[in-house]
Amino acid sequence: MKSNRQSGVSRRTYLKLAGASSVAGLTVTAGCTVDTGGDGENGGGGGDGGDDGSGNDTGTDGGDGGNTEIVPGTAPGFPPFEFKDEQGELVGFDIDLLEAVVEETDYTLADWEEFEFDSLIPALQNDRIDVIAAAMTITEDRQETIAFSDPYYNADQSILVAGGSDFDPQSLDDLAGQTVGAQEGTTGAGVVESELVEPGDVDQSNFRTYGNYVLAVQDLENGNVDALVIDQPVAQTFADQRDVEIAFVYETGERYGFGLRQNESDVQSALNEGLQAVRDSGQYEEIRNEWFGGSGGETSGNESSGNESGNSSNSSAVGE
Amino acid sequence: MDPTVVAQTTGDWAFVLDNAPYLLVGAVLTVVLTVVSMLLGFLVGFPAGIVEVYGGRVSTFLVETVGIVLRGTPIVVILIFMYFVFSTPSLTLGLFDVTVTLSDAFIASVLGLGFRSAAYQSQIFRGALQSVDEGQLEAARSVGMSKLEAIRHVVVPQALRRSIPGFQNEVTIVLKDTSVVFAIGLAELLTRSYDLFVRQTTAVLEVVLFVSAIYFVLTFVTNRGLDFVGSYYEIPGGEQA
Repeated sequence: MKSNRQSGVSRRTYLKLAGASSVAGLTVTAGCTVDTGGDGENGGGGGDGGDDGSGNDTGTDGGDGGNTEIVPGTAPGFPPFEFKDEQGELVGFDIDLLEAVVEETDYTLADWEEFEFDSLIPALQNDRIDVIAAAMTITEDRQETIAFSDPYYNADQSILVAGGSDFDPQSLDDLAGQTVGAQEGTTGAGVVESELVEPGDVDQSNFRTYGNYVLAVQDLENGNVDALVIDQPVAQTFADQRDVEIAFVYETGERYGFGLRQNESDVQSALNEGLQAVRDSGQYEEIRNEWFGGSGGETSGNESSGNESGNSSNSSAVGE
Repeated sequence: MDPTVVAQTTGDWAFVLDNAPYLLVGAVLTVVLTVVSMLLGFLVGFPAGIVEVYGGRVSTFLVETVGIVLRGTPIVVILIFMYFVFSTPSLTLGLFDVTVTLSDAFIASVLGLGFRSAAYQSQIFRGALQSVDEGQLEAARSVGMSKLEAIRHVVVPQALRRSIPGFQNEVTIVLKDTSVVFAIGLAELLTRSYDLFVRQTTAVLEVVLFVSAIYFVLTFVTNRGLDFVGSYYEIPGGEQA
């Protein structure tokens, strides 16, 4: 199908074309491969069309002509990591970063696929997508089923309280006996569960979870819940927009990584090298400043020097 | 009222109206999903209802079992099965301007919603068919109709009329259940409303009200449409059988 000749066509157009052509392509290939799905688009790469069956680890990272497509997946709704802009286009830090990283490799990036956060890992395992870029925290549990790239962002939790309230907690201990909320399935919910509910500081019935953190903040403003535990950059967004404030930051030392299928070390090492290249060229910093510009020095720990920095007061764990 | 609050409130409504087209695209997908799923549900569910009432032992057993499985499984699970386990392929349809995986997801959604609706609809039609007096079938047989003819010309027309209320209910349920397709990557009306209030977090109430209004209009129009069908096919001057 498409060769890697893409001069004269903007990358986005090219991707659209490649995507469109694989619509037609799929009807042909669907019969002969089991795991077609989204990565039927591999056919769009140069010359490695038929090897879906071998698990998609085509192309290797050698430079010669192995121009393979990677289908990225995300769960929009986590500004500034991934969300829909005014035009309904998918934008955000993860989006730009992965595009920049893949640009540095011999792979090309296909159109983004969108799922609920919980569906991302099944989608990856069933070859519907090839990489997850969704502010996903690297956890041991997840590492049993999928692999991760090197970490690309540090994550911490913020404790959010209603603006102007008398309640001003300084540590998790101060939350004892209060009503605490978090978004379902997030690491924030995990923190409440393990640090507050299990020791008995907070009754299970006083721990509220929400399907969407916008609704959680609404509930906080309405006074139905005393504090929320949510990821740092998102908390910052709310503190700017709504009548809520960040009481303190609880350092969890989580890291985000791009989710990958296991045993695909070619893709993994390509992405890791790409990530390093993006850090080295200063592009990482540009992208970070674009999306976290407002929070200034806070995010410096995620700078090119890497995630190892001790300054983990930067951000987020949207990550769930 | 605090003037800044007023300004913010009107701003949120303006935001919703600005983005109405974005929501309407989602509404179109919702409607298309509903219509196609209901159609599939009818094409499969109606015969299934007939089989459950008049079928032989084996066919009745098969249809009942499949029905029980489909009715007893949460719709998300059905969809995830369709999409991830059965790996539905995409079909090239000239109808929608959608990309590959959306097509996959669309097929999976229609199959999932459609078959589950078929399972529900089979019960609606079973109930309606059983409500037609058995004597009518005997009477039809006695004037020389075969069993199939008797069902087709005597029982089914009456049963279809009686199934309208249940069918109305089912349309409404499928319409709102389409929201669940976001699990496999299709952004319909409700998902798009989430996109919106994530972007302007003060507009939660406005977005939710607006989307509810769209759902209400869709439900209202469908129900009134079916009411019309019901009265059109009513037996003039007779009771509703």
